[in-house]
Amino acid sequence: MKTFFFTFLTALSSLTFLQAQENSLKGKELFGNMKARHIGPALMSGRINDIENHPTNARILYVGAAGGGVWKSGDGGATFAPIFDKHAQSIGVVKLDPKNPDEVIWVGTGETWTRNSVSVGNGLYKSTDGGNNWKEIPGFENSERIASIVINPNNTDEVFVGVLGALWSDSEDRGVYKTTDGGKTWNKILYIGPSTGVSDVLMDPKNPNVLFASMWQFRRTAWGFNSGGENSAIYKSTDSGKTWNKLINNLPLGKLGRIGIAMAPSDSKIIYAVIETGEKSTNGLWRSNDSGNSWEHLNNDFGLTVRPFYFSRITVDPKNPDIVLKGGLTGSISRDGGKTFKNLGNMHSDIHDVVLDINNSDIIYSGTDGGVYRSWNGGSTFEIVENLPLSQFYHISVDNAEPYNVYGGLQDNGCWYGPSSAPGGVTARDWNSVGYGDGFRVLRHPTKNIIYSEMQGAANVWRYDVDRNRTTTVQPQPKKGDPELRFNWNAPMAVSNFVPDRFYMGSQFLHRSDDMGDSWTIISPDLTTNDKSKQDQANSGGLSVDNSGAEKHTTIFTIAESSLDQNIIWVGTDDGNVQLTTDGGKTWTNLTENLVGIPKNTWVYHIEASVHGKGTAYAVFEGHTTGDMKPYALKTSDYGKTWKTIISEDIDSKAFVRNVQEDYVNEDLLFLGTELGLYVTIDGGKNWSEFTNNMPPVAVHFIDLQKRTNDLVMGTHGRGVIIIDDISPLRQLTPEIMNKDVHFFETKPFTMTEDSDFSGSFGAETQFVGENKNTAAQIVYYLKKRHTFGKMEIEIQDIQGNKITTLTPGKSKGINIISWNFMTTAPKMAQAKTLAFSGFTALRVPAGKYKVVLTKGNETYSHDIEIKYDEKSVTTLEQRNEQEALTRKLYDMVEDLAYMVYEINETQTKATEIIENYPKGKKDSQKLYNALENLRKDLVITTGDNYVASAEPELREKMGDLYSNVASNFNKVSGASKANFELISEDFSKAKKRYETIMNKEGKKFNSFLEKNNIEKPEIQSKEAFLKRG
Amino acid sequence: MKILKTLTIAFLLTAIAPVSAQTADEILNNYFENTGGIENWKAIKGIQFEGKVNFQGMELPVEMIQTKDGKSMAKASFQGQNFYQNVFDGETLWSTNQMTMQEEKSDAEATGNYKNEINDFLSPFIDYKQNGYTVELIGKETIEGTETYKIKLVKEPVMVDGKEEQDISFHYFDTENFVPIVVEQEVKSGPAAGMVSQTKLSDYQEVSGLYFPFSILEGAKGQPGGQAITITNIILNPEVDDAIFAFPVTETNPVIKE
Repeated sequence: MKTFFFTFLTALSSLTFLQAQENSLKGKELFGNMKARHIGPALMSGRINDIENHPTNARILYVGAAGGGVWKSGDGGATFAPIFDKHAQSIGVVKLDPKNPDEVIWVGTGETWTRNSVSVGNGLYKSTDGGNNWKEIPGFENSERIASIVINPNNTDEVFVGVLGALWSDSEDRGVYKTTDGGKTWNKILYIGPSTGVSDVLMDPKNPNVLFASMWQFRRTAWGFNSGGENSAIYKSTDSGKTWNKLINNLPLGKLGRIGIAMAPSDSKIIYAVIETGEKSTNGLWRSNDSGNSWEHLNNDFGLTVRPFYFSRITVDPKNPDIVLKGGLTGSISRDGGKTFKNLGNMHSDIHDVVLDINNSDIIYSGTDGGVYRSWNGGSTFEIVENLPLSQFYHISVDNAEPYNVYGGLQDNGCWYGPSSAPGGVTARDWNSVGYGDGFRVLRHPTKNIIYSEMQGAANVWRYDVDRNRTTTVQPQPKKGDPELRFNWNAPMAVSNFVPDRFYMGSQFLHRSDDMGDSWTIISPDLTTNDKSKQDQANSGGLSVDNSGAEKHTTIFTIAESSLDQNIIWVGTDDGNVQLTTDGGKTWTNLTENLVGIPKNTWVYHIEASVHGKGTAYAVFEGHTTGDMKPYALKTSDYGKTWKTIISEDIDSKAFVRNVQEDYVNEDLLFLGTELGLYVTIDGGKNWSEFTNNMPPVAVHFIDLQKRTNDLVMGTHGRGVIIIDDISPLRQLTPEIMNKDVHFFETKPFTMTEDSDFSGSFGAETQFVGENKNTAAQIVYYLKKRHTFGKMEIEIQDIQGNKITTLTPGKSKGINIISWNFMTTAPKMAQAKTLAFSGFTALRVPAGKYKVVLTKGNETYSHDIEIKYDEKSVTTLEQRNEQEALTRKLYDMVEDLAYMVYEINETQTKATEIIENYPKGKKDSQKLYNALENLRKDLVITTGDNYVASAEPELREKMGDLYSNVASNFNKVSGASKANFELISEDFSKAKKRYETIMNKEGKKFNSFLEKNNIEKPEIQSKEAFLKRG
Repeated sequence: MKILKTLTIAFLLTAIAPVSAQTADEILNNYFENTGGIENWKAIKGIQFEGKVNFQGMELPVEMIQTKDGKSMAKASFQGQNFYQNVFDGETLWSTNQMTMQEEKSDAEATGNYKNEINDFLSPFIDYKQNGYTVELIGKETIEGTETYKIKLVKEPVMVDGKEEQDISFHYFDTENFVPIVVEQEVKSGPAAGMVSQTKLSDYQEVSGLYFPFSILEGAKGQPGGQAITITNIILNPEVDDAIFAFPVTETNPVIKE
């Protein structure tokens, strides 16, 4: 029987083991409560696609960011919180249900202002609980970009969705869709063709059968853009979308580009349209006063015609149909029905959407390339909302400072660097500007305090001497005999791992400088396909020429010098070539033919030269500019002769890959930056898990692993810099560990940092503040199962096993990380009328080894950690010993005093009892009481409060202050503290003497009275019991 | 052989149970059934928690009392001083001002909201229909590395800075044993407005046949830290003098006629 039982259990456990092995190497639980932190920056924020206000509550405002998700404000835009962090972060439109705006929210993903760097959406979402939970609405998976959602105010189950659709390919998913059952079923009710999408949809709220739709024929490639075609037009339906008529009366015909339309909320007959025609006489703003039947051309000013693909939003004042605002380079406002316009006030350029407060048209919100701005005076002056960390990094890098800095360039917001941690958190003022325009790569010189940065297309590459505050432009330039250099909009640069002053840049050639960019040598032939048909950017744009340089193609995009051999350099191009030199550029091998499973000419977005072997490298490819969103990543271990894919089916089929980062220790640990978030593998790419702990599925453009800290630093295109601190536990994770009930991970010794924490949070009330790296000891363990039933505790013990403090354990399945701030306990303070704030100072432990003891049910698990002093400290070991000894002495003294006061209090309580109940003992008891009270008044505060009505400090306060001062200091004990200690020791000795004297005199009489009358003595706990905590 | 049978059945049951629970009501029924039975939960008239909070290296003793008829008191002690929080006698909500150590009344809006909070004695899910609340099973979600049922609860509206707003919270029930392990709710006002408060429940232990979480960790979702309360003792139906809930009338707090 027994045997049978045992066999059964074994079978059961082996079953679990098998199951665990199958499931163990992926899944959310792998990461437990390991979580990302966001450091912004928010001071320049990022591109906004859409702003939506609440129909009845002026405090509530929603923002759809181009790459940073949906944010909600409940305070008129002073602060925002993200509400869409589990889904694609590129947002086209946010719409509230007119009848139930607090609960029902629609979000169409995929930004609609179609610049070269736009991200992609993945469908339509609906929340029925104010944004807490979202459901994907089936049928829009391939919509890529949703421009419009309109809802019938009388029947909010009737919804129309305008799909702009794919930017880089044909798509039959474009068109206007209609549901009459709140989104369960849909019909496509207007479709023109695979290259013509919906720019705007309008509904007449007074007669919801009347609809307008503007259609736009457009296409982007990696090397050009084409806006315009015969299919672009405005359509109108008067039967709720059953039939549509193309509006032609007085309107321009033939090839048209993007068309933005808007209806005056106060008079739905009035329709405004901005039409891209390419002809001065018809370009710009049109107005109809009869619901679209006839039209008048009003204005072709720059502000009304600039870059229609980027700025076509018109907004009409909710009350006055003649106040019209339009997005643009500066944004424009008309107060005469569109005849004349003036610029909106100063704010970040590139205005994509403007909305007016529902009650007060003086308040205007504007969505720009640099976040949300707010005007209080009808658009003359604007202030930035400081709370939206939507910065769009193209690239980041890190240095080795303490704390390390993060460097990077942003879409339309220049180049920056800032600390990964700062006192009080990473605030706006911690960031430093190091470049103008669109910023891309920013690199720190390996040994000097010099920063390289660049603006678009290497128009400027700066070498910035931080100490001297001097800037030199150092970009490679053509010399006699050179062809014209083609630099990518996001031109690659790299610094050498071997020669500190060596600096690489890529045009179609690889350029090398050994003097920090002063002079350059071309060390390669043209490494691209040099396909001339992809080099005609002067004619890009379609009806409106748009040759910003953003479409420059057939260029080098990534440069990777091996950290094992300076002669090995990998190069990837935007037109699909992978090239390698192993002799410092003398000869090059084109490896493109050896790639497996990569469609021809697919953009080589990043090559990572491995530290695990000279011939080992990773390359990631992305084809989104041809409409191919599939993830591609390859690994070679033989200098590119053969490659194998490291992509598994765990990765979203549309999460195209922009970056890969290998771990420097464990070759099987890899991080993949995709358009839809971060993926991690711990088995070399067989299984991948999406990292979702405080990490939205935002586009991760670049990843770096900070070597000293093992922090994974991500440059995201929409949510700024996101960091996962110390990924080393992932290095150690194996199937064996995952099958243990509890496993502690090895951690490096922890440093008790002594840095000053002066910060001052002035002005940060409504500002985004980046989260700091936790500098406490991090105790990391794995739990096979979440702890829910029974007791679980963690305590820190010294190496002899004495308890030092207890910690709050994490109980998640997977990895748990908890902090210990190196503190033991605070001393027990004497009781008084007021609080002694020095009692908040806990004792810090000395450096050394400590035990972490985890108790779970009946099981106990133990693990040793090591604590170090700060190497940057100015204190010697001897001085430290003195400080620690004195701290301990004062700690004990504070508790001695606490116990003495406790004894006094208990004795006084007893004396009071006698005074009240035993007339015979009253006199002696009163004497004792009074003597003790006189003493007590010198020991502790007996009047006043904890603020400005406080009494003069007594011995407890003086002693406590000295304790707190010495204990919290990292430096040697000052002469002043030593002298003060002598004084306080003496005062305390005197007090003890006084107490003794009282107890020998008045106390004796009192006690003998108690004895004679058989009255119990005061119940005084032992000192040990009194000091027991908890 | 008998043991084997029982074990096999138990094994099968655990495997089946999550599948069979498909509605919010079934999950809630399982919860109450697994933690002592709904009738036993309803029979409790009052509860007293004793515990400690860990605050900057200090373990402060705390005590909380709640009664079924809507009174409550929480007290933390530090350096021999008592700090009262959320003391409510059914009408007046008060706490200790930490500067003056005097009792102060909470503002009318907070008091009104608290009144609606405290009427959910022990669990808002007990008789939730009678209270006019609604529940909805949102689906399964992995939280704390664990598969849970996510249940949405809508209670009476709350007032936020003068405006009425819905009171929505989300309760995550472990699919294996049906006890809630996480509760989330949007913070409506104050400096954390817009953030989501997250309460993690664990260390469930039995008290007179009912299961209570003895560890409660409150924090903000996605943010580090949080405040842990460790319960050391739970007393059911304690003897309580109603006077402890009343706003004290003292020299400095004369009765103010309202």
